[in-house]
Amino acid sequence: MSAMPETERNLTRVVEPGVTAPAVTAHVSDLVLERRTPLWWWVGFGLSFGLFVLFLVAVGWLFIRGIGIWGIDWPIAWGFAIGNYVWWVGMASGGTLISALFFLTRSEWRSATSRIAETMTVFCVACAGIMPVIHLGRWWYFYWLFPYPNTMVLWPQFRSPLHWDFVAILVYVAGSLLFWYVGLLPDFATLRDRARRRWQRVLYGLLALGWQGSSQHWRQFRMLYGLFAALMAPLVCSIHSIVGLDFAGGLTPGWHETQFPPYFVFGAALSGFAVVLMLVIPLRRALELTGVITQRHIDVLARLMLTASLLLSYCYLIEIFMPFYRGEEREITVAMSLLGGYYAPWYWAKIVLNSIVPQILWVRSVRLNRPLLFLVALGVVIGMWIERYVIVVGSLHRNHSESSWFVFIPTVWDWATLAGSVGLFLTGFFLALRFIPMVSMFELRELLRKKQTEGGR
Amino acid sequence: MTAREELGREELARHIEDRLTGKSGRALWRSLDELSREPSVLEMLRAEFPGLPDLADARVGRRRLLELMGASFALAGLSGCGPGEASETAIPYVTMPAGLVPGVARHFATAVTRGGYADGVLAIHQMGRPVQLEGNPDHPASLGALDPIVQASILDLYDPDRSRTVLKAGRTASTNGMVKALVDRLPALAALGGGGLRLLTGTVTSPTLARQIGALKQRFPAMQWHRWEADGRDMVRAGAVLAYGRPVDTVLHLDRAKVILAVESDFLDSAPGHLRYARDFARRRRAAEDGQPEEMSRLYAVESSPTLAGARADHRFAVRPDEVEAVVRALAAELGAGPAEWRQGAPGWLAAAARDLSANIGAALVHAGPAQPPAVHALVHAINDAVGAPGQTVSRIEPVEADPVDHAQSVGGLVADMAAGKVDTLLILDANPVFTAPADLDFAGALGKVPLSVHLGAAVDETAMLCTWHVPEAHELERWGDARAFDGTVTIQQPQVRPLWGGWSPQELLAVLDGETRPDGYAIVRQSWMELFQSKGNAEGLWAEALRMGVVPDSAAPPASVSLLPGLADRLPPAPAQPKGTLTALFRPDPWLRDGRYANLGWLQELPRPFTTLTWDNALLIAPATAQRLDLKNEDVVEVNTANGRLRAPVWLLPGHAPDCITLPFGFGRRIVGRVGRDVGFDAFRLRTLGNPWQLPGVELRKTGESLRLAATQHHQMIDSPDVVRHATLDEFRRDPGFAKCKEPEQSLYPDYEYPRNAWGMAINLNACIGCNACTAACQGENNIAVVGKEEVLRNRQMHWIRIDTWYEGKAEAPDQTLFQPMTCMHCENAPCEVVCPVAATMHDADGLNVMVYNRCVGTRFCSNNCPYKVRRFNYFNYSGDDNRLSMSWNPDVSVRARGVMEKCTYCIQRIRNARIIADRENRPIRDGEVKTACQQACPAEAIVFGDLNDPDSAVSRRKASPLDYGVLSELNTRPRTTYEARLRNPNPEIGEV
Repeated sequence: MSAMPETERNLTRVVEPGVTAPAVTAHVSDLVLERRTPLWWWVGFGLSFGLFVLFLVAVGWLFIRGIGIWGIDWPIAWGFAIGNYVWWVGMASGGTLISALFFLTRSEWRSATSRIAETMTVFCVACAGIMPVIHLGRWWYFYWLFPYPNTMVLWPQFRSPLHWDFVAILVYVAGSLLFWYVGLLPDFATLRDRARRRWQRVLYGLLALGWQGSSQHWRQFRMLYGLFAALMAPLVCSIHSIVGLDFAGGLTPGWHETQFPPYFVFGAALSGFAVVLMLVIPLRRALELTGVITQRHIDVLARLMLTASLLLSYCYLIEIFMPFYRGEEREITVAMSLLGGYYAPWYWAKIVLNSIVPQILWVRSVRLNRPLLFLVALGVVIGMWIERYVIVVGSLHRNHSESSWFVFIPTVWDWATLAGSVGLFLTGFFLALRFIPMVSMFELRELLRKKQTEGGR
Repeated sequence: MTAREELGREELARHIEDRLTGKSGRALWRSLDELSREPSVLEMLRAEFPGLPDLADARVGRRRLLELMGASFALAGLSGCGPGEASETAIPYVTMPAGLVPGVARHFATAVTRGGYADGVLAIHQMGRPVQLEGNPDHPASLGALDPIVQASILDLYDPDRSRTVLKAGRTASTNGMVKALVDRLPALAALGGGGLRLLTGTVTSPTLARQIGALKQRFPAMQWHRWEADGRDMVRAGAVLAYGRPVDTVLHLDRAKVILAVESDFLDSAPGHLRYARDFARRRRAAEDGQPEEMSRLYAVESSPTLAGARADHRFAVRPDEVEAVVRALAAELGAGPAEWRQGAPGWLAAAARDLSANIGAALVHAGPAQPPAVHALVHAINDAVGAPGQTVSRIEPVEADPVDHAQSVGGLVADMAAGKVDTLLILDANPVFTAPADLDFAGALGKVPLSVHLGAAVDETAMLCTWHVPEAHELERWGDARAFDGTVTIQQPQVRPLWGGWSPQELLAVLDGETRPDGYAIVRQSWMELFQSKGNAEGLWAEALRMGVVPDSAAPPASVSLLPGLADRLPPAPAQPKGTLTALFRPDPWLRDGRYANLGWLQELPRPFTTLTWDNALLIAPATAQRLDLKNEDVVEVNTANGRLRAPVWLLPGHAPDCITLPFGFGRRIVGRVGRDVGFDAFRLRTLGNPWQLPGVELRKTGESLRLAATQHHQMIDSPDVVRHATLDEFRRDPGFAKCKEPEQSLYPDYEYPRNAWGMAINLNACIGCNACTAACQGENNIAVVGKEEVLRNRQMHWIRIDTWYEGKAEAPDQTLFQPMTCMHCENAPCEVVCPVAATMHDADGLNVMVYNRCVGTRFCSNNCPYKVRRFNYFNYSGDDNRLSMSWNPDVSVRARGVMEKCTYCIQRIRNARIIADRENRPIRDGEVKTACQQACPAEAIVFGDLNDPDSAVSRRKASPLDYGVLSELNTRPRTTYEARLRNPNPEIGEV
């Protein structure tokens, strides 16, 4: 569909002129059904799979030896795994916010990017969900966190933020997966109908769950989808609030902060928008979607990122202000150690990447410069990982008990698990690119019809 | 079968078993092959299967040889079934031994020696094997407490690296061969009247050994008995000789002392009797516990290298080693025990301290440590006489050591004779002189010139490898013996278990010189005492009573009546001088490894050293100011250059160390040692000479630019934290008795727990705590706490449930006071750990304990993150499973924790449950004092008290009623069950703040 024209400097159009609904449907389904797998896919998938194998090795060794292979120590009993978890679950928020929140606000720029964002969410959540399980000393008993009737007549500790967290992730994983899958139903049916090979017809036929496109189906679909959107939008706030409570519920200076729930929501939104940008910018070219993913989409995502960065920066200010305002000695110690202690380089890196650099997005030409935007988004994604790392280890290393102050020194296995989890995400995402329509075809058809009606008037 | 043949077969079986131990798979075959060619094996085979070795010599195929040896291997398998000697009748458990109930512990009294001096212990037996040691309350040196070293001797007993077979020139040999070699030599020795026969031992207090050696001397008049204890008390002995003309021992009565001056004294660290001294000292420091603050004693300390006494001093003066003697001379002069010119150049505080001492005639004492030169000890005797100490605060007794001699001269003479070829037969009993003897003696070289040398030692060490014969020594818990305590009281040591790997006692080996080929240690020791007991009547009854009690009544050394020889001032050797611009090296024993003999004990390697908190390494200790001048920082490796040689050592900055000197702890750097002690630390003995055993002037340091990571357990020098470690002076306390209290929040969202039965709690008195780490060691033994190794300690993953935090008051460079604070689980009423555990693995129990359910723990570690006291420990790896200690050595009352679970102090819940079972059976409540936690039991200073808070009359409730009682970090609303009594200092108002 190279016929799609691109108007680089127009920031208002969500669809380029001349794009028609049948053309979009044909292009997107051809990407999955007909096109030969392009070289870039093989290269990208190969690299991702390599990282994924690294993940399997790292986790395998972890299972054999125990979590002592990581750099966690005493008093810093949480390290990369928890940081990675918060990071992944934060990025996952991007997809949910775009597809659920902006569905409720009826933002029309959402339609073309929602599938990429939601797919990203699903694999981010997978990475996020694995981390708290493998970080357990005895991971094979992870299900004990679930309140199930058992012969021991034991329930989880309902007062524990970790139990809330377990429930929250479980709900979020299930919600994201269902939301994604429900949204895919009409498109799977389209693929089934267009498929020429038998295995494709069987596969997509099974996935489409007998979707016929009857008005009855559409009526129920819209209700279900709307319900999901109405559920997921608050859920994305609650899960990050609960992740914040994992820390705020603790007694440790630097964690015991009332601002943590919104702080974590803002952080999640920032990294979520950044990672969507990072995916959308190369994919619109690679998948030849420039006609439906326009400069307008990118501009909106950049503005959202800037907004989230400003909100987060406010939290950063409060984080340093409150200890001094309260005058609590131990909290001041933690704050001072962030500003000038062992973890200061990390702290300042997060400030630069998450608060300062994104300010260039005020400039319109930067928002138009996609490579630069990609780098800013990448900086934010890295910065957000650093932020979580500093939150986890920075406060533990200056805990209440001065005699146990120590630092966290990551091992090669910590880094391997982090890099490997990126591999897990990318492997999943590349597979989705190959087998799942990356643009919501039915939504675009609706959008184009709406545009046509508006244009016809 | 004759006894000799029986012995031979047994030896063969044991030998083969030993060679197989720890080997499997292909290595096994290789070792059998090797084994079949060893001369000792062939010799025994010749006796057992005549003709077979010829086949072996004829290079029969390995397979055939193995076939023929099958019968012997079957025997090896049999004796592999259990420890003990197969030749005696074993009792199967089908018929239960009388009085033994599975799961119920039994106690047996015995003693364990340290540097020759006995500490009375009770060995706790479970199912017929000792699993733990506690102090014997009836023993004067213990009073129920134990130091870490004696506690660790139970680990020593089960050390899989102990020597198991007789070695000849480093190769496995038969016991018969060794006995024969000695017996064959006897006629020749007898002909010479024992000329050329030498004995070398450490400090000996055993009356039986002394009796045997006395008898041997009658038989071999020319025999000589040499002594070498690297960590010995030569200087103390020489000081007494200087003052009184003959050796006497000094016993302190710190409970009667109001003013004490300690000259780098070891009375709290390691002196014989230190456990008792700690208790007596602490008695006088428990201000306000019974409402009598004026009863507090005052301690001055003058020292170069920090000691525990210095840490507890009200006034501590870090003084260069060459100035210590000048200070003591000036003090003597002030108190009229020396010429007035000695006062010259005395520091300002000295006169005030002297006035304090002289104002307390009869209630003052001065004590000097074993590293001080004889002159200081002699002066200390003179000063003590001047302040009326004898009979009041010190008593002098006849020496406890048998036949006291100067060890340095003794070993020096031996080496000279060895080198001159005058030594024909040398017996080394329980000593490792090749490692510990002064470096300028070249003991190893001289040993090569001795035709027949026999080494009796618990492990194959440096000496074992160089002697003609090495004989495995039975552990003190495996053999009969006897030993004296610091005051001379005798304990008859009874074996707690059959020798696990065979082994001989020193008494048995000496009996071989009497021509006995199969000596019986029991008979030898019994012989020493039955004569005495018979003279008192009921001999068997007295013997049984002595064994039961763990002490022989009225066996303390008699008082020595001595008086100061006139003209002491003129007889004093000149004081040492320190060349300008150089450093003085101080040689001091490592607090736990001592002369290196405990190097293979993981508990001791990993037990943090007081002050430095170092584990798994020794370090060159230096004052921060001196280090700054030399541009050194922690973990820098320096080359120590001395006239006696050089060595490389990592640096550790130690606040409170005297300037211009360094401390080199010895006992590390063992070369031939078991798996635990290998490649640990540097060997400071290499610089220690006969002439300069304790201090060596003229030392220079050179930076190498390298560094070595040292495994400390506390990474910050902590200065005063008003809410964690609270302290004041006695005067401040009198003015404001409530200074230690702080406002604690009382609200909680959750309702209070109710404790209808017991509410267990603990009080730790910081005024009593001397920071000795006995509690940490006791907890480790009681609760099966794993040893994790240096790499893991570097990652800060040590597992101790109770740790000693070290705080400094004043500047880190020159602290006014060192404060020790044992930290363990506080069993908070509002425990932060409990609410965050998602699976409720840590929770409150009905008695208010914060319990940890290992089986439920999934290892989220949030409890550790949320614990403000950081007392929870996590099994990052399978530490217990990876430990090579024998499985029979674990305490069966306590779960051994697997990988991935959290653990922490339980208030020794197993002891509470035992007491509960007994109390329920007798239908009564648990009595106060019936439950003693392991840390409380071991604490020599009685700093820790445990009991029921529901009982207002319990000891712990009374302690908690003290105005000094406070909870650490209680402003966090944790409401800790373990509280502390704030530390008080009793400074002399005449001496301004330093």
